[in-house]
Amino acid sequence: MKSKINLYLIEFAINALLRAKSKNIFILVVFTLLTTLLTAVFLITGSIKHELQTTVDALPQITVQKIKAGRHYDIDTSVADNIVTIAGVSEAVPRVWGYYYFENAGVNFSVVGIDQYESQYKESLATLITKFDFDELQSKNSMVVGAGVKEVMSSSYYSEYFNFIKPDGSLKKMTIAGVFDADTQLESNDIILMSKEDVREIFDMKANKATDIVVKVPNPEEVSTVASKIKLMYPDSRVISSSDLKISYQNIFDYKSGVFLALFVVALFTFFMIIYDKASGLSSEEKREIGILKAIGWRVDDVLKEKFYEAFIISFMAYLLGTLLAFAFVYVFKAPLLREIFVGYSQLKTSFELPFVFDIEILFLVFFLSVPIYLAATIIPTWRAATLEVDEVIR
Amino acid sequence: MFIKKILQLTAILLFLLIPIHADEMFSKVALGEPVLIQEGAKKHWCPTCGMSLKIFYKTSHAKDKKQFCSMRCLIVDRHEHNGSFDKVQVVDAKTEKLIPAKSAFYVVDSEIMGTMTKVSKLAFTSKKDAEAFVEEYDGEIVDFEKALSLAKASLSSDIAMTNAKKEKKIYPMGEKIFKKMCQQNIDLSKYQQINELKSAIKSDKLCKPLKGMRFQALSLYLWEVKRVETLGQSVEIVKVTKEEKCPVCGMFTYKYPKWAAQIFYGEKHYSFDGVKDLMKFYFDPLRWGKYENSNQEKITKILVTDYYTQKAIDGTKAYYVIGSDVLGPMGNELIPFEKEANAKTFLSDHSGKSIIRFDKIVEKEVYKLDE
Repeated sequence: MKSKINLYLIEFAINALLRAKSKNIFILVVFTLLTTLLTAVFLITGSIKHELQTTVDALPQITVQKIKAGRHYDIDTSVADNIVTIAGVSEAVPRVWGYYYFENAGVNFSVVGIDQYESQYKESLATLITKFDFDELQSKNSMVVGAGVKEVMSSSYYSEYFNFIKPDGSLKKMTIAGVFDADTQLESNDIILMSKEDVREIFDMKANKATDIVVKVPNPEEVSTVASKIKLMYPDSRVISSSDLKISYQNIFDYKSGVFLALFVVALFTFFMIIYDKASGLSSEEKREIGILKAIGWRVDDVLKEKFYEAFIISFMAYLLGTLLAFAFVYVFKAPLLREIFVGYSQLKTSFELPFVFDIEILFLVFFLSVPIYLAATIIPTWRAATLEVDEVIR
Repeated sequence: MFIKKILQLTAILLFLLIPIHADEMFSKVALGEPVLIQEGAKKHWCPTCGMSLKIFYKTSHAKDKKQFCSMRCLIVDRHEHNGSFDKVQVVDAKTEKLIPAKSAFYVVDSEIMGTMTKVSKLAFTSKKDAEAFVEEYDGEIVDFEKALSLAKASLSSDIAMTNAKKEKKIYPMGEKIFKKMCQQNIDLSKYQQINELKSAIKSDKLCKPLKGMRFQALSLYLWEVKRVETLGQSVEIVKVTKEEKCPVCGMFTYKYPKWAAQIFYGEKHYSFDGVKDLMKFYFDPLRWGKYENSNQEKITKILVTDYYTQKAIDGTKAYYVIGSDVLGPMGNELIPFEKEANAKTFLSDHSGKSIIRFDKIVEKEVYKLDE
């Protein structure tokens, strides 16, 4: 059997690697670092893309805001009643929410009002309603907070309740009735939920006003028609459809991934430089070795096989080590340094975590970018040396 | 000294009062104690729509011991009982007293929002008051007959407007409230009018205490949905499995859920990626393969997907728009709607050619769509 793996050759290859220990360890280290960097870059982008996608998917199809003098203004809740009569609209829900700046920690909380009898524009909110009774919360002056908010509050010694400062300077004390875990970190780590009436009180909004109105259109093809109808009905409104939002989110992401691309190009370039250096020729010592092997009766394909094993062992080991290191770096150590590029998404300075996304494509991509190239860079010069006459090489 | 103090106090009081008055906008809520002519606990609510008479007091009309929130509800009630409009009383928006409507001066089309209608109709005893009102809030002064005819003319569009709002917002809300807050065994047949139901809920404590808007949503749900149970429309979508292919074009139908349509032959069914292909199959199944057992007589059910709501609707009762600029997976389509009003809106929005019913569709027309 010709294609059978020759164990002696493998043994020889390992011994050959061990003979030039320092040189091979150096190659292994550099190679490992490069694959780590490459994989880490891909993993982080993959994770953030996933996070982004879930955030974008949860966005309402149409958001209607009132614009006055170029600024966002509170909108009449009666607008929702008129929007719901448009054909193709299944729901129009006025939202009452806003950012509350907590000076002690220097962070913004998103305070979101909930009416449990309305239809909820987000799946995650609908599940929360089944857990908490917001009428009861209101009667007890309490609220439900995200895990990130809870952490920030307790670090300022607000573990049972929180005092909101109303626009007129008076305090509104709200007890923390519960904590919810966010599905995705970027989306809701900074959210505080309470009844709409309480939110209106904290932000001093009138009872017939809302922050904006979210509209649900069952048929996505009708979104643009509905959006233009709303714009006609309310010329003073800004109508944002989810596709617009998607684009702006994507823009932020593309900008950030541009920075990553620069990093990636540098890493790849370094890698190819090393490869080029290796491929440009063997040292005379290596040539001698090949010559001696041929002189003692090795065939060309034996030499090539042995070199192939050598290169494969070293590159595959580096690849495995590199990817493992990258996974540990990204998901265990939370990608220090590299992650900083992407922070600035969330309003709250929370410990936003990268969701674990296992994408086999990334592994293949890194594999084909590293291992075969290194193999080729070893085999080609070996083949050149091995085809030369023995006496020419040894002399 | 004493006088000085009093002067100071009055000055402060005046100062406090002025900004409040300056900001005050006209409101339909009764400022004083409203005059309610109905008997018993039900007197607080309109017998047609169940809305609070105190809050919509200034558009309130009364006739024969019934008091309505608006002229619209009065008309609805009169139509139901084939009654006349004699001796109708109306609330004077200025003095808040009930006056004969025949001699009142009506202000229509002012800036004030109407009650259950787009155009408000407010009445005044004296022409002076009406003119003063027009000065401030615009509008036009007419007599009762004219106001009545205006209200009658806009009745169908008003009903359409409130129905859309009810179906999409109020009924779902009322259902949630009912499930959470109320006794589940309320006997609805006991009540003649919605205001009787409302007073019963309040006095017999059928539900936990509720505030205005929620109370109204609950009552409307109970009265208009739960009592008649006609709104048991299917919220289902047309379900298509991953294996099903359209018998006409051979495409996988699960990829186009927006257009899914099905013909049922008892247990068996075929799925299509659009009404057009469904119709082609409907007219001539044999053309598309060995479908000997699939002739028109054996059809038990046809389901199509409503373009707007994306829900499964009965294909034989749907309204189809042809010639529009919306394309399905197979090009030009017959686009199905459950309601004629929606089909008309779609027709004008997407420059459609015409609306047809299922039984008016002919095979030639269907093939014409492919040209």
